[in-house]
Amino acid sequence: MSRDEASPNVKRKPLAGIRVADFTWVWAGPFCSLQLAHLGAEVIRVETASRTCVTRLLPPWPDAQPGVNRSGYFNQYNQGKRSLSLNLKDERAMEIARDLIRASDVVVENFAAGVFARMGLGYETCRALKPDVVMISLSGYGASGPESEYVSYGPAQVPLSGFSSVTGYRGWRPMHIGVSYGDPTAGLQGATAVLAALIHRRRTGQGQFIDLSQWESTMALLPEAILAQTMSGHAPERDGNRDPSWAPHAIYRCAGDDRWVSIAVADNAEWRALANVIEPALAADTRFASAAARKQNEDALDAAIGAWCATRTREEVRDTLQAARVAAFPVMTAKDLHDDPHLGSRDYFVELPHPEVGIRRHMGIPYRLHGTPIAVWRAAPCLGEDTDYVLRDVLGYREDRIEALRNASVLS
Amino acid sequence: MAEGNGRDALAGIRVVECGDFVSSSFAAKQLADLGAEVIKIESPGRGDTARHRGPYAGTPDLDRSGLFLYLNTNKRGIAVDLESASGREILARLAATADLVIHNVAPADIDRLGLNDVRLRAARPELVVTSISPFGLAGPNRDLHMHDLNLWAAGGIATLNGGGPGSDDMPPLKGFGQQAGYQAGLNAAVASLGALYATLASGEGQLVEVSVQECLTSILEMAYEFYPYMGLVASRLGQKPIAPLDFLECKDGWIFICCVEEHQWHRFVELAGNPEWATMELFDNRLSRAANWDALQIFLSEYAAEQTVENLYHEAQARRVPFAPVSTMGDLLASEHLKTRGFFATLDDGSGAEAVMPGAPYRHALTPWRIRKRAPRLGEDTDRVLGDLGYGPADLGRLRATGVIG
Repeated sequence: MSRDEASPNVKRKPLAGIRVADFTWVWAGPFCSLQLAHLGAEVIRVETASRTCVTRLLPPWPDAQPGVNRSGYFNQYNQGKRSLSLNLKDERAMEIARDLIRASDVVVENFAAGVFARMGLGYETCRALKPDVVMISLSGYGASGPESEYVSYGPAQVPLSGFSSVTGYRGWRPMHIGVSYGDPTAGLQGATAVLAALIHRRRTGQGQFIDLSQWESTMALLPEAILAQTMSGHAPERDGNRDPSWAPHAIYRCAGDDRWVSIAVADNAEWRALANVIEPALAADTRFASAAARKQNEDALDAAIGAWCATRTREEVRDTLQAARVAAFPVMTAKDLHDDPHLGSRDYFVELPHPEVGIRRHMGIPYRLHGTPIAVWRAAPCLGEDTDYVLRDVLGYREDRIEALRNASVLS
Repeated sequence: MAEGNGRDALAGIRVVECGDFVSSSFAAKQLADLGAEVIKIESPGRGDTARHRGPYAGTPDLDRSGLFLYLNTNKRGIAVDLESASGREILARLAATADLVIHNVAPADIDRLGLNDVRLRAARPELVVTSISPFGLAGPNRDLHMHDLNLWAAGGIATLNGGGPGSDDMPPLKGFGQQAGYQAGLNAAVASLGALYATLASGEGQLVEVSVQECLTSILEMAYEFYPYMGLVASRLGQKPIAPLDFLECKDGWIFICCVEEHQWHRFVELAGNPEWATMELFDNRLSRAANWDALQIFLSEYAAEQTVENLYHEAQARRVPFAPVSTMGDLLASEHLKTRGFFATLDDGSGAEAVMPGAPYRHALTPWRIRKRAPRLGEDTDRVLGDLGYGPADLGRLRATGVIG
């Protein structure tokens, strides 16, 4: 039975009373429904044991032992959700899925366009089951257009969206961003789209369908490059960590093994403050006297600052420059974040018991609602952990019916 | 909260935005594009930082910066100096008519600039006040001075990108643009709408706090969890675990080849005409292909150099292999798929030149995202908005003469 003495909706969280039928997988969709869970919705992930979420099969796993309930990737992005396992190849499981949609306010899915409808659960079906349902499809390419049924993987979404062509070291090949950036970007915008639709529903009683293209929602974060092309006729060149008008704007190597610090200066006052710390003569150097001059002589500028940083620890650079109100901060690694006294002081990390991985530290909710406090109420679910709860308490099935379904392998 | 209009999801929701550059502007833009009535407060004379950033179609002009035009669609704009008591009075009177105030003012300046949430809500209990700040409103780093690059470093993403085999000396690498600001704006929109939804039920507002650093740490994919789960620190350095997942140069541009599943590799090999090298044991599975990437890369590069991006992309996709072009900005603007969907929005930059910018990131069937008006010129709506608050022509003249408004 489930580990949920504290039901997610006991506190008056913003979305208390909203139920989400969550047919998502990988990252974009689960990140969308994660936000809804954070805000207090009861999110029920529909999973299938023979085809689990990809992230259940990916590392990291404690002791390097794989297991569908052991992945840190899955457990990070499915906190506070429930898991209902259904063998969707069985018509009786499809009937349960339809019952769940009848009992839900929101349906979220992120298959390639058309796949969910071919499973028999398209928007028209969902609306017939629940007339005021809000449904969102977060597909790679959107529900229409000549490439709508193309396959979209997170790592490929970054180059597709245009980010890679403008990200990278100067003169080098295109590069990535470091994570499958389109996925969380789409997930957050999907959550905004759903919340707006819920506000509309609350005021009018109308549900609706939302078509989100991960490609398009990722381009929403690339306006400067797109506008440079359309307004001035040429896209920006790949230029490392530099900025088109601010300098210095770089990541410098510090003393130690792979230790780095970021330094950015927005105006002449910040430059003088920085120069006075490093070497007062720099502040008087005409090569660096204005933003335009610093951009023109940026290699020399970076060499001077880089030499200063190279003999100092990143903490020393941060402290010395911050004392002069210069924006300097270390490049944080996972271990740095894990041990960070600031994050640790903010009650940000989530450490809740999990039957298979024990207590592990996870990233929490990056926003706080001080009037309707939100907090992760439970660690990510084990596969099918809430099947009985959902069938019995949400859908009202009798115990003998649940038992019969289980014996017929419908609930796997 | 006023009634909706049935056409725009957030119609009747009044937002006062009081911030600078990307994060709060982008948060409020998302609400404005869904129908909220957003009034943006800028400093007289200088205006928002985005006004100074371009890109511009011609000579730099505060009213024609592409980034500003994008981040402030559908908003009204007023110029008010919050350093002055009269300016803070205007803010207070405006906030008393609003459902949401959203800002990215540094925590140390919030009270001084009239944005204390307790005081604002004393005048209007249903008000939601959303604060975006680098490290949140409490904690030892609260008052550190940070720009976007520093936040990207602080959030743990920079360390994951750049370098790679043979280039370990290169620094951690940021993504293009002000991405910390965009991520904060995305989270602030979600959190603000969540709080507004609660207000619909309770009639009570609240303080919403967004930490930019935390926004970034929340999107580290599996990179963070490798540490608490396995004691491993993820890094940009070293070899990828599976291959091929990489950029290759074609005749006419770059493509990203992506074979995560074995069947995708097999279909790609078939597409490539079953070359002899593909049958080598070294490249038998995704792990061995990664371990032998140096060798595989040579064969793949030779193959790609003979292909065009478009052809390889569509042929791979026809076989359900998830390759993607490394789209240039020109490619995006010319994409038949995006044209069919009508993605790009075209606005006048104010001088008659066209600014083509990203359009709807999502499409609501009943209450579609839409652009109702272009971004405001600096101070464009000052007189009308203050007039609605009860300021008469004499008041406006006096406030303008003393530099409180612009």
